[in-house]
Amino acid sequence: MTKRFLAPTLVLLAVLWQVSPAWAARVGEAAPEFTATDTNGKLHKLSDYKGKFVVLEWSNRGCPYTQKQYNSGNMQKLQKEWTARGVIWLTVISSAPGKQGYITGPEENAYVKQVNAAPTAVLLDPTGALGHLYDAKTTPDIFIINPQGTLIYSGAIDDTPTTDVADVSKAKNYVSAALDEATAGKPVAVPTSRPYGCSVKYAD
Amino acid sequence: MKMDLVLGRKVALPWLMLMVAVLLSAQQPAQSHARIELIAEQNTASPGKPLWVGLLFQLDPGWHIYWQNPGDSGEPPKVQWRLPQGFTAGAILWPVPIRLGSGTVVDYGYEEQVLLMAPLTSTSQRATSLPGISADVKYIVCREMCIPGKAHLTLTPPAGGNWSRWRALFEQTRQQLPKPLLPGWKASAQSDKTNFVLSVKGTSQIRSASFFPLVPDQIDNSSRQTFASNRAGFQLILKKSEQLIKPISTLNGLIVIGPGRAYEVAAPVISH
Repeated sequence: MTKRFLAPTLVLLAVLWQVSPAWAARVGEAAPEFTATDTNGKLHKLSDYKGKFVVLEWSNRGCPYTQKQYNSGNMQKLQKEWTARGVIWLTVISSAPGKQGYITGPEENAYVKQVNAAPTAVLLDPTGALGHLYDAKTTPDIFIINPQGTLIYSGAIDDTPTTDVADVSKAKNYVSAALDEATAGKPVAVPTSRPYGCSVKYAD
Repeated sequence: MKMDLVLGRKVALPWLMLMVAVLLSAQQPAQSHARIELIAEQNTASPGKPLWVGLLFQLDPGWHIYWQNPGDSGEPPKVQWRLPQGFTAGAILWPVPIRLGSGTVVDYGYEEQVLLMAPLTSTSQRATSLPGISADVKYIVCREMCIPGKAHLTLTPPAGGNWSRWRALFEQTRQQLPKPLLPGWKASAQSDKTNFVLSVKGTSQIRSASFFPLVPDQIDNSSRQTFASNRAGFQLILKKSEQLIKPISTLNGLIVIGPGRAYEVAAPVISH
């Protein structure tokens, strides 16, 4: 009796596994575990950072929405401020080889130095595995994970979806707001927002 | 002194011309991949009748701009009208967009050419011939890369006084606008944990349809929309957006059935 149902059940499970990503990143739930390589070849596992806040920032230096944050110095300021307070800040580049924004480790290291960026590390994700795991849509797209490993924010960097550098200072920054609230032990008032920017340049 | 002035004028004129040329070219950089014109349907604004004006975007092959709901990335063009006293501008009428991109990032927008038209109305009791109208436009044009653009456009008569070409563009665009839902058709949506099931009743002839959400963050743009027809009408299963955290009372968008067959729906949402 049990055996008769086992095979179809297994097939059904296998199908479900395929269609609905079992670990899709959802605010309020456990953030999906990942292993990714940074620009210096070092491996980073999300679980290595249990006990700390982790920010994932999808980036593409050729994208005007990313440039708005870096040319204004805002992203660097956020990275410096929050890493100084013990937050792990991981910039992620998911452009596939041959796609706009694809970059090698040494090239990205030189760029980080040039623009004075200060993430903990830059993760290279040319297969898009990490991007798809979190369903990152745009550059920038931000995910914040709390010390317990729960995703507490997913979405835009701020509330002003434009490419104008002049808008940065007037915008409400969702990343700072979420980290301010979460580090003070308060719930995040805006836990999700619509990410805005250029599309992530995944492989076709 | 006099000598200097003369010399100054001689030098100043070419400089002035150069500056004008630089300013003009700065308005519409050659590398923008989008050429924009401000056009009008008629050369006269008559009392009590709207004067239709529009932003005509012509895009390089493969490049696109965005619909009012851009989808997962990008942003719609924004316009600030500069109008003579007594004139007011109505909202842009957005032609039916196309679905752009594949995979997990899907956008809504336009390729090749699109006219974003808007009505201008005047309180004046007299007809005015081609009032001084200009527009400041901000937009982003993307292919694989995105390039933001700005343009200050002034309404001037068409080249060679060829108004018929402009009139034809407005006429064509009207065919591409979504229409109100047909009389006798009725839309509603059922909401469960993961999907909206959008039902349209009152038609049995429909073989396929797709939904374009008017409001971001309600449905997941990249998920496949499952179509099913039945005797009463048809249904579309739309996966909810991950960003949708509060229940909604109305699902707003377009149902596109085929060329020239797009309808506006405001489907009341019934929760389970």
